[in-house]
Amino acid sequence: MLATVASATLVGVEGQAVSVEVHVANGLPGLRVVGLPDASCREARDRVRAALMSSGFKWPQKRVTVNLAPSGLRKAGSGLDLAIALGTLIADGQAPWQPAARLSFIAELGLDGSLRPVTGTLPLAAAVATAEVVVAPASAHEATLVGRVGVRTAPDLRTLIGILEGRDRWPQPPPRGSYPPGPPPPDLAEVKGQVLGRQALEVAAAGGHHLLLVGPAGAGKTMLALRLPGLLPPLQPEEALEVARVHSAAGLQVGISGLSPRPPFRAPHHSASAVALVGGGGARLRPGEISCAHRGVLFLDELAEFPGAVLDNLRQPLEEGRIVVCRATATVSFPARFMLVGAMNACRCGADGSPGSCSCPEVSRARYTARVSGPLLDRFDLRVRVRRPEVEDLLGAGGPAEATNEPTHVVAARVAMARDMARARAVRANADLETSALERHATLGPAAKRILERRLTDGRLSARGLGRIRRVALTIADLAGDEVPLGEEHVLLALALRATGVLGREDQVPAAATFGKSGEGLAQVPA
Amino acid sequence: MRANEMAGHALPPAVYAAGLASLPRVGPSWLRSVIASHGPRRAWQLAVEGHLAPPSQPPREQRPPTPSLGEAARAVDLEALWNRLERNDIAVTWPDEALYPKVLLERPSPPGVLFMSGDPSVFARQPCVALIGTRRCTPDGAAVAYQMARELAEAGVAVVSGLALGIDGAAHSGALAAAAGLRTGPTIGVSASGVDVVYPRQHAALWRQIVRSGAIISETPPGVAAQAWRFPSRNRVIAALSQMVVVVECHARGGSWHTVDAALRSGVEVGAVPGPVRSSASVGTNTLLYEGAAPVRSADDVLVSLGHPGPGAPASATAGNLCSLAGTGPEQGTGLRSGGRRANVAGGRAAGRAPERPKGACDRAPELQAKALGRLELQVLASLGWRPLCLEEIAERSGLPLGPVILSLENLEQYGVIEGTRGWWARK
Repeated sequence: MLATVASATLVGVEGQAVSVEVHVANGLPGLRVVGLPDASCREARDRVRAALMSSGFKWPQKRVTVNLAPSGLRKAGSGLDLAIALGTLIADGQAPWQPAARLSFIAELGLDGSLRPVTGTLPLAAAVATAEVVVAPASAHEATLVGRVGVRTAPDLRTLIGILEGRDRWPQPPPRGSYPPGPPPPDLAEVKGQVLGRQALEVAAAGGHHLLLVGPAGAGKTMLALRLPGLLPPLQPEEALEVARVHSAAGLQVGISGLSPRPPFRAPHHSASAVALVGGGGARLRPGEISCAHRGVLFLDELAEFPGAVLDNLRQPLEEGRIVVCRATATVSFPARFMLVGAMNACRCGADGSPGSCSCPEVSRARYTARVSGPLLDRFDLRVRVRRPEVEDLLGAGGPAEATNEPTHVVAARVAMARDMARARAVRANADLETSALERHATLGPAAKRILERRLTDGRLSARGLGRIRRVALTIADLAGDEVPLGEEHVLLALALRATGVLGREDQVPAAATFGKSGEGLAQVPA
Repeated sequence: MRANEMAGHALPPAVYAAGLASLPRVGPSWLRSVIASHGPRRAWQLAVEGHLAPPSQPPREQRPPTPSLGEAARAVDLEALWNRLERNDIAVTWPDEALYPKVLLERPSPPGVLFMSGDPSVFARQPCVALIGTRRCTPDGAAVAYQMARELAEAGVAVVSGLALGIDGAAHSGALAAAAGLRTGPTIGVSASGVDVVYPRQHAALWRQIVRSGAIISETPPGVAAQAWRFPSRNRVIAALSQMVVVVECHARGGSWHTVDAALRSGVEVGAVPGPVRSSASVGTNTLLYEGAAPVRSADDVLVSLGHPGPGAPASATAGNLCSLAGTGPEQGTGLRSGGRRANVAGGRAAGRAPERPKGACDRAPELQAKALGRLELQVLASLGWRPLCLEEIAERSGLPLGPVILSLENLEQYGVIEGTRGWWARK
């Protein structure tokens, strides 16, 4: 006899509906799974058999064939367990088929027949073709986030069959939002001094610009970076759902207290491999850290300790906002629109980088900073040198910087205002502005134009750099509540926040490439 | 050995001298004495026949057994050496020889054999000043070395240095810049490797330029790479060639101290360029100044000290020149590091130094007023010194917010009063 049960499998961060067809017929007893299952999927055979028997059902002494359709798609994970078990029972006549036809089933089975949560419940539940989905109780809150699909749970297989047979009722799903949202992010008021660092952090948050912090050990680079998520505006519901999908597919905790509006903050250690960072892996392609930081912050502490090849993998996602991972089994596109924040020392000895302060030979310093390649360095719109704070600042002796220790909520309010202005330009943040849009939105005043002209002619600024400076200057103007055209104060601050030579080497600006190469050259500076 | 068979035939004496210098573990005093008593050719023949007493050595048990001098000499391929000298246009000279810089003979331990590449006439003409310093210098130190070398070269002084990275390289480049402007002043490089072995490799172009318009000399035979022990020995030659040794920047320890020690032993005046007390690259020079070295602020200070009428020296400084020359005897110099602190400042030099107007921002004060600096600009300028500061420091010192500071810095840079490199600002 034949039974068909709906379920889903994960491809990248997207779910894909799968129908599990089970055929029970005379023949040598056994279970066979066809339709490109991976190892964990093939192991379902043993879990299903044990779960059925410990739940008090009979294992059919017949030939059981399971087909996972569409059969050309590679299936991964244990989420099909429940559907296979149910299909077997229906095909063997031990369970009714009619109530099961209106439901999809996504859960792993324990040997005792209990339903267990699976990775990626959120995208899986979003992909099912039916109006309702049955998941493990522990995944219920995650599946609920989908919204348009009704969520049912059952503690184990036996109860589930009882419900389907009409003997039991569906248990109430656990109440939503019953967990505390976690500790609040650290406050900016705790950062003493750091006038330039704070300014850079604010501009980065407001404009979505990538930020590189360079400074000696113990200067507070990490401290600054950890306060960035608190400055970012909360995620819009659809953005939060996007983030939750990726996190769910990556196996992270999702949706315990509903859809979290907090932008994610990911800080992988510098021993991370290229695959861990950009995504990939075995039969199932997992999203990497850059996708987990989607719509949030990817913080790479000790940037120069990351292998250069790993870092250069970031270049394409930084430009495109997504990463396409190609493997023999599948080609998957992961979202990866994140803010990159890097922190590093200027040299291995950790000196403060002022001329003459470092005791490293020139060669070893160059070798240390060379891990951050020119193209990657170029993608940091903001690069600032962070200094060790002064003693008075640390002890709060009422130094001149005391007044500038603004708390997070004050700065966040300005950031939100700047983001509103960016939205009026039809982008999320100024960093996303197209070059052509710069002409319309970031016009330059005469004084600002003069300053940029000077930088371009003496080779201190490249054509690409010009576009980035204009975006940053626009963000600065937005934060100050100033109107365009941009003034010299905006442009100069932008130049100061994008310090060249912050790594002790000049940026590579070939003289011939200064003008007209990428169309962001002086030709487009309006008269 | 072919060299042996050819020993009776005519090879230039220079080749024999080069051969003697190529023998292992021979020092300048041994080379001097054998060449002085036998002449290069006869000395070589004696060496090959094993009749020449080897240089005195420490007791046997401290050293591994080595081939005798005769064996070593027979292993030298004189013809290849000759080819190498000819091909690379390397001159060989020794104390009796015409090209040998005679000033070396007045100093302790003159080189026995000296190899030269470039124009040998540079030694005859000029007063020489050594500009030396650390390889790990600050951009400021390199700029000072460059400018000072250039001005000295324009005044007709030959700038001597050690061809190393950092201060040395900047000094050579500065002197070459003057030479390119045809204002005389070649530069002399003293190398620790053979004169045809470029070290460090980054200086290959500089090396060629120096050979073209100056000279490179070395005690090391051609084709031999620099070994660690040759550097102090090279520094002794730098000091010996010079009438004054100026240290532009040096750390608390480093090769510059060898040159300073050699200069003190030879009675050569030592000058040092003052630097910020918190800069690690100026710890050495400031220590030298504290112990009584002549402070050197510009090329003029060096010229005054030499009694050399440089173009920049004011006419009124003549009296000061005499006094300063009177104060540069060897006995004063040797007291520098070992003797009492600032003991020799009581000499004529400090008292007799002609008052000179310091050059810098003060000089331009009327100029600046003409440009009508704003209040903010003056406030920012007041917080700036000659030690490079970063933006945040300037904001803190001037008590102004970032915005006005940045604007003022831009204007001040436009006026040419200050200079910013890689985000570090200082007065010009």
